[in-house]
Amino acid sequence: MAGVARSRLAEERKAWRKDKPFGFHARPETLENGETNLMRWKCFIPGKEGTIWEGGFYPLTMEFTEDYPAKPPKCKLPEKFFHPNIYPSGTVCLSILNEDEGWRPSITVKQILLGIQELLDTPNPLSPAQSDAFVMFQQRREEYKKWVRQEAAKYPPPV
Amino acid sequence: MGGVEPLATAWPYGATSSELKKRVEEARVLAVGAGGIGCELLKTLALSGFKHIEVIDMDTIETSNLNRQFLFRKRHVGHSKALVAAEAVRAMRPGIEVKAYQGNVKERQYDVDFFRRFDCVLNGLDNLEARRHVNRLCLAAGVPLVESGTAGYLGQVSVHIKGRTECFECQPKPAPKTFPVCTLRNTPDKPIHCVVWAKEMLFPLLFGAPEASDLNDGAAAEKEGEDSSAAGTADDPSFYKRQDGESSRQYAERVFRQQYGAKIEELRGMEDLWRNRPAPQPLDLDSLLQQAQGQANGSSASGGSSTASGGSACKALGLADAHAVWTVPQNAALFLQAAQQFLDDRPDEIGAAQFDKDDTLAVEFVTAAANLRAACYGIPMQSLFDTKGMAGNIIHAIATTNAIVSGLIVLEALKLLAGAPEACQTSFLHQQVSGSKRLVSRMAAPEPSPACMVCGTASVQLALNTNTWTLQQLVDKVLKGRLALIAPSITCGNFTYEEGEGLEEDEVEFYRGLLSRPLSQLPGGGLAHGSMLEVGDQEQHFKAQLIISHREDWDEEQHPEGFELSGSLPAAQAAPPAAAAPAAEAVAAGEPAAGVRGGSSAAAAPAAPAGKVALQETDDGIVLLSSDEEGDATEAAVPAAAAGKGKRKAPEATEAEDGEAKKARVEAAADDVVDLLDDD
Repeated sequence: MAGVARSRLAEERKAWRKDKPFGFHARPETLENGETNLMRWKCFIPGKEGTIWEGGFYPLTMEFTEDYPAKPPKCKLPEKFFHPNIYPSGTVCLSILNEDEGWRPSITVKQILLGIQELLDTPNPLSPAQSDAFVMFQQRREEYKKWVRQEAAKYPPPV
Repeated sequence: MGGVEPLATAWPYGATSSELKKRVEEARVLAVGAGGIGCELLKTLALSGFKHIEVIDMDTIETSNLNRQFLFRKRHVGHSKALVAAEAVRAMRPGIEVKAYQGNVKERQYDVDFFRRFDCVLNGLDNLEARRHVNRLCLAAGVPLVESGTAGYLGQVSVHIKGRTECFECQPKPAPKTFPVCTLRNTPDKPIHCVVWAKEMLFPLLFGAPEASDLNDGAAAEKEGEDSSAAGTADDPSFYKRQDGESSRQYAERVFRQQYGAKIEELRGMEDLWRNRPAPQPLDLDSLLQQAQGQANGSSASGGSSTASGGSACKALGLADAHAVWTVPQNAALFLQAAQQFLDDRPDEIGAAQFDKDDTLAVEFVTAAANLRAACYGIPMQSLFDTKGMAGNIIHAIATTNAIVSGLIVLEALKLLAGAPEACQTSFLHQQVSGSKRLVSRMAAPEPSPACMVCGTASVQLALNTNTWTLQQLVDKVLKGRLALIAPSITCGNFTYEEGEGLEEDEVEFYRGLLSRPLSQLPGGGLAHGSMLEVGDQEQHFKAQLIISHREDWDEEQHPEGFELSGSLPAAQAAPPAAAAPAAEAVAAGEPAAGVRGGSSAAAAPAAPAGKVALQETDDGIVLLSSDEEGDATEAAVPAAAAGKGKRKAPEATEAEDGEAKKARVEAAADDVVDLLDDD
């Protein structure tokens, strides 16, 4: 029986089906036995056109809890994802996903995904989450750009 | 229960009447939980004259319960709370009937039918999840719920009557506090940040499942950054695995130097972080150990012997006072000692251990680890007792609070039985006298929130044979045929079905593949008796809950289609008592709370559109439509269920009824005012 979290996610799902931004994918995870997990969404975020992230489709998992939407979902990119604000575990560090900062229950799945797309090309140097990408971004920008372009090539469009 | 007739003498004067006494004796009540509140509640119920009590609790009695759960004695430790409590209450009042269930209220056997047997349900639960579950079952069953909770001196009692007062989930509940990973990893500034870090990040990294820890840096250093050579070794994923030939002591020291030395140094290097806050200071293990040696002085605190300490590292180190805040060197010694003991004494658990507040060694480790981190960041350190409370989210319970709350629960139950739901109140117990100069403040129970995602949904019962009906039939005959949906979606646990716009091709394909399956064979365990389906529509504003009952025998004459739809609706007003109509062969209609002011929906829409439809109001506030022509019933039922949201035409009768509803609302509001005055 659906609680607040599931009801809200059903609404998010409905809204997403009606109006999804181009190139993005988001849907509740489906298991091999045909079960659907409404609390865990599989998404793809396209790199923004005209940025070094262009061409990549970055897989993202959103993990919701029963406390959603009072609490934000946990958003994870692949492990070791190269970006100054992504933890080595893949967890995205972004103010709107932080309960104590920018999260509001009215923020939609679409807004989160657009927010993360934005974060990719505009890292926040004030909250570094991994040293490699952070140091390279701060000190060797050209090398950083080259590296990101190589990364983008590793994430082709989902079939 | 909306149909309980008021007493001849109105509340509160009827409270002492023999009429109410009789109702109390005949009432069936369910007490959910036989713990702190539950024990007090059962006692109060028994002594207030209740004679048919059922109680459910999954737990067994622990020694730590005995200080406040007075129905239990030391000899009961290890026995079922529900069974022992029932026995104790029976002894208290011979002739009383107390039925006990040792089980989880969330199990399937405690379904809507189980709840429907009661006149009211009284909650004495200790967790949000079960509270939410009972709330939803009570809504589905149409049984009023008295909900309660205590935390130390604080307490609360509220009454939830479907369609009349707000449900437990109308107001968002403050969720247990969690902390952003960024704060925990990089910039803690409160003791709790250190405790959570130690418990949820460091502990699993060493003893549990490291992949679950956000401290695990994975192989971030695989990349070839030249200047990450120092951090490079540190970030190796195998770092937190114990190496071959490494003693537990060496391993613990290595982790210490990494977490409180190298890691802190690395963080200090991120200068942007420390512009507005002091940078953390690394700890030097060797000098700390020397100081610890000095302080230990005489006790056997050299760290090494992990045996004969009874699983406690504190004991091995002679740290006896759990309320004292130990020094940094003492915490360092404890860190090493606890880690070492865990590794040496409990090898089977390594890789899968989980933090448990009752695990002495785990609490000792977390205390030391949290305090050392606090020391790095200049945050005050905590005693073991306080750390345990924080890590285990322990709120110390007070028996008196439970007793007061139980009294208030029974008082509200009496109002319900007296047929005076308008008198029901929400009560709060305060630690200090509040603005109203009271320790107990009360207010009229609030109306349902029209936007509530739980009680603002229409609820309908659907009887059919789940073994022969396919998903296709459900979608075509019931959802599209009867409920007039266009692009229905269904969710039930881990089962989802969707159609309409905005689906990917593979999703359409996947859902199509499910259509031919019998309901009982669908993914997620199948749709079966008691399954609650959330039904929505991609094209329309429609939301309803469908509760399935499995029925095998169908009279083809009576139900040529082999299914029956019946039920109640959420915002139905408590209607004046009337002769109950047989529920069979009936289609229910009404308005969900969404779009309609709660409590004002005036379910009765007594004018039938053209066709052979008859509407009748029952004492449950249910509108029954009986019709021999499906189409007409649908016309009448569905628009009302859609609450006049554009695409459907609401019958004019509903409009006409609005005036009545408003009047009723004004009267209800007037009652509220009187209540408030009474209270002052």
